[in-house]
Amino acid sequence: MTDLALRSWRSGAKPDYFASRARGPVLSENRNRRPLETARTRLLVAGAVFALCFAVLGSRIIDLSLLGGADANRPTAHAPTATLTLARADIVDRNGTLLATNLPAPSLYVDPTMVLDAEEAADKLRAALPELDRDTIIQRATAGGRFVWIKRNLTPNQHYEINRLGLPGFGFVREERRVYPHGPLFAHALGFTGVDNHGLSGLEKAIDEALSDPTEARRAPVALSFDVRVQHALHDELSAAVADFRAKGAAGIVLDVDTGEVLAMVSLPDFDPNAPTLNTAAAHFNRASLGVYELGSTFKTFTTAMALDYGVVGLNDGYDATKPIRIAGYAIRDDHPKNRWLSVPEIFVYSSNIGAAKMAADVGTTRQRAFLDKLGMFAPIAIELPETGRPLTPKHWREINTLTVAFGHGIAVTPLHLIDGFATIVNGGIRRAPTLLKRDLDAPTDGTQVIRPETSAIMRRLLHLVVTDGTGKQAAVAGYLVGGKTGTAEKAVNGRYKNNALLSTFVAAFPMNAPRYAVLAMLDEPRGNESTFGFAGAGWTAAPVVGRVISRIAPLLGVEPVNEEIAPGRNDLVVHINGRSRQLASF
Amino acid sequence: MPRTLELNRPQMGLLEKALRINWMLVLLICVPAAIGVAMLYSAAGGDLQPWASRQIIRFGIGAALMFIVALVDIRSWMRASYVIYALALVLLAGVEVLGATVMGAQRWVDLGVLQLQPSEIMKVALVMALARYFHGVTLEDMRRVTVLIPPILLILAPVGLVLRQPDLGTAALLAISGTAMLFLAGVRLWTVGLAIGGLLAAVPIAWQFLHEYQKTRILTFLDPETDPLGAGYHILQSKIALGSGGIFGKGFLQGTQSHLNFLPEKQTDFIFTMLAEEQGLVGGLGLLVLYLALIVYGIAISLRSASAFGRLLGMGVVTTFFLYVFINVAMVMGVIPVVGVPLPLISYGGSAMLTLMFGFGLLLNIHIHYDVHIGRRASLRE
Repeated sequence: MTDLALRSWRSGAKPDYFASRARGPVLSENRNRRPLETARTRLLVAGAVFALCFAVLGSRIIDLSLLGGADANRPTAHAPTATLTLARADIVDRNGTLLATNLPAPSLYVDPTMVLDAEEAADKLRAALPELDRDTIIQRATAGGRFVWIKRNLTPNQHYEINRLGLPGFGFVREERRVYPHGPLFAHALGFTGVDNHGLSGLEKAIDEALSDPTEARRAPVALSFDVRVQHALHDELSAAVADFRAKGAAGIVLDVDTGEVLAMVSLPDFDPNAPTLNTAAAHFNRASLGVYELGSTFKTFTTAMALDYGVVGLNDGYDATKPIRIAGYAIRDDHPKNRWLSVPEIFVYSSNIGAAKMAADVGTTRQRAFLDKLGMFAPIAIELPETGRPLTPKHWREINTLTVAFGHGIAVTPLHLIDGFATIVNGGIRRAPTLLKRDLDAPTDGTQVIRPETSAIMRRLLHLVVTDGTGKQAAVAGYLVGGKTGTAEKAVNGRYKNNALLSTFVAAFPMNAPRYAVLAMLDEPRGNESTFGFAGAGWTAAPVVGRVISRIAPLLGVEPVNEEIAPGRNDLVVHINGRSRQLASF
Repeated sequence: MPRTLELNRPQMGLLEKALRINWMLVLLICVPAAIGVAMLYSAAGGDLQPWASRQIIRFGIGAALMFIVALVDIRSWMRASYVIYALALVLLAGVEVLGATVMGAQRWVDLGVLQLQPSEIMKVALVMALARYFHGVTLEDMRRVTVLIPPILLILAPVGLVLRQPDLGTAALLAISGTAMLFLAGVRLWTVGLAIGGLLAAVPIAWQFLHEYQKTRILTFLDPETDPLGAGYHILQSKIALGSGGIFGKGFLQGTQSHLNFLPEKQTDFIFTMLAEEQGLVGGLGLLVLYLALIVYGIAISLRSASAFGRLLGMGVVTTFFLYVFINVAMVMGVIPVVGVPLPLISYGGSAMLTLMFGFGLLLNIHIHYDVHIGRRASLRE
């Protein structure tokens, strides 16, 4: 520039230029010089200002791209994300899968004193919220006071639409809504929250304080003992069974027998905790932990274990089961009468009511009650749920009660009680309180010894025998050494037992040489179909469900299958009766 | 060539004028425009549609306009100055009046093919009118305060109208370039100081005209991190893009901030960000150097002009161009608040392109007519 500029200044164009600006003739050299200097200086100043500005831009771009600038020091990932402070902790399963979380869901309120035209506002609002009643909106928008709710927990779309209307007097309150990504899958276990985002049922209610704890620790999600894969398998199989057998409902539990952790808990029918009000009270009822039922023959597991543990009977002892027991005007009969003497294993495997009653009678009422108390059958299960059922036991425990309780009548407990007691019988005799929270693997799990380990070992063999040779054959799963007990109870309706309304239960554990998991399935009033030849008993309805659940979850849980014929554990499970191995008539 | 001959010759032939076109200036205009087309091609994800192809057509029209403007006699432009200014002012007022009642918030007049913003025409018209005015005023005249009243009114009228739209960027551009014209014309410094003081005093008044979003923009400028997802979003993302380019950039078509749509409207006001991200420091500085070269060339052409009109007009055009560049680049780098000013020759958009090409046409014109002397009354002869 300078070259060209100077040349042009020198070229003589200037005198003409200034001459053109001067009035009249040029008076003197000095007169000309000053404006020349002014114009020149000002151009230079302007040029300098331009250059300075460019220098600022240049240094700024160097600052931003090379030196990082003041703002680029922040990690870029933080820039687009606003920190979301949520008031309620997430819930995850044992593997970290999200079970419950929060979404921001603003709520709409109105300050009636600031509303200009309530009718117009109502018409506009109905465009975004058609479910609202026009008159109700007008009534609220003209009410007294300065704060009236219009709609709680809007969706982002609704929020946007209403915000866009720009209605004076209508405002939003920042709120959150609990969201359950798995829908009904964990309905009863998790429960749900109310409009204020506090738990109203299930775990949400039981550990509400911990979940909404406003300290830093709440940011960490609460890990449950559940495994979403196991829960899904159980839910899936139970739902199929309910449909197949047109049952009124069902319950199912999978329990870790060593830690007491509940891996799955299902109650059917269920509901969607995302919209809990859509369902009836029946759907909200937790059959697994709240419902108490006479669970029938499954209780023979406890009776047999009790008799063995007290040393009242041995495996080689037997009882006369040729005719029914008549007592206090009742007759105790066998469902599958053999009409002969039965050994203790036969009583268990054939599910003889007469034999079990006689065993219990030999043990005695006092010891029976003490034993069942130790197994936890008289108190509500201490688990992290508000919905826990209190067992129903005879008010006056007479001899008849001792006999009927032996085969699971006259005592009503929850399925959770049954599987908890069952786990105690098979895990070596140690009772641990079941839990819905993930246990710390390093922390010692304290429990109380209820039966001797030897008794537990015998019970495993007997339970396995039920599946290989007895009433639970349909629960057998190749490779997983299942052992369990059926229970088909007639439901008591209006004080009488109805023989066409059954409660079919199967409780099992696997692998039976060293049990890790217990599985329970209970069907409420199943009806036989063609595939079961019309039978609705546990062996035909509940046992297959357990078998299918085990076949699905055992590989997921890392239980290695064994060849049953050569497995080392196989010998542990052989039952010797009267010197002959597995001397049992086919069933 | 003896001067007397020149003075006696009223007009050059078209051919003679065409031979005097400054091709260096034309080149300095074409290079940024080519860069602009390349950036628009990249902004569309490597496609001529929808921006690059239309930008080429607009530049073509602009270039034609530039040459036509260049070849018209400079005295004709000088005589037309006030008329053009008056027309622009009427259009501006028309948009203001109609805009309030009929056209909603539109700032432009629809001419069918082109949508013309009167405020854009005004950028050139103001410079022309001021150059015309000061051409007829001697330094002695300027001692009288009354002489300064017309040019100040010339500046304030369009600034006021544009502020009412309200178009903050254009208003600032008009006010600053007008003030710069006063300074360059030789108005005494205290007067210029007074004008600057008046501008600053007008800030609180102007504040009232602003829309809420514009106030937010300015407040956010002071601390963009307060609202990283809202008003501060654009400038933060822009700075991130600038910062992520490094020395040589991520490469053509490789910019993540822009291609992943972190930067909305990257093809218009924020295109410098894309350039800096894809071409890095070298690209950003390179473009600034190109602009600087254009400005230096423009100043040189202005200086060569024999007439005060040419000199002032040239400096006015250069100043306007400079302000475009400075406001835009400073804005995207967070040096000044976000105001809607495009990057000249590069941003997608027709109005600004036409204004600039018209201005460059005037620069070429001044170069062609550098030795034409003009009397105070714009007669063909002294």
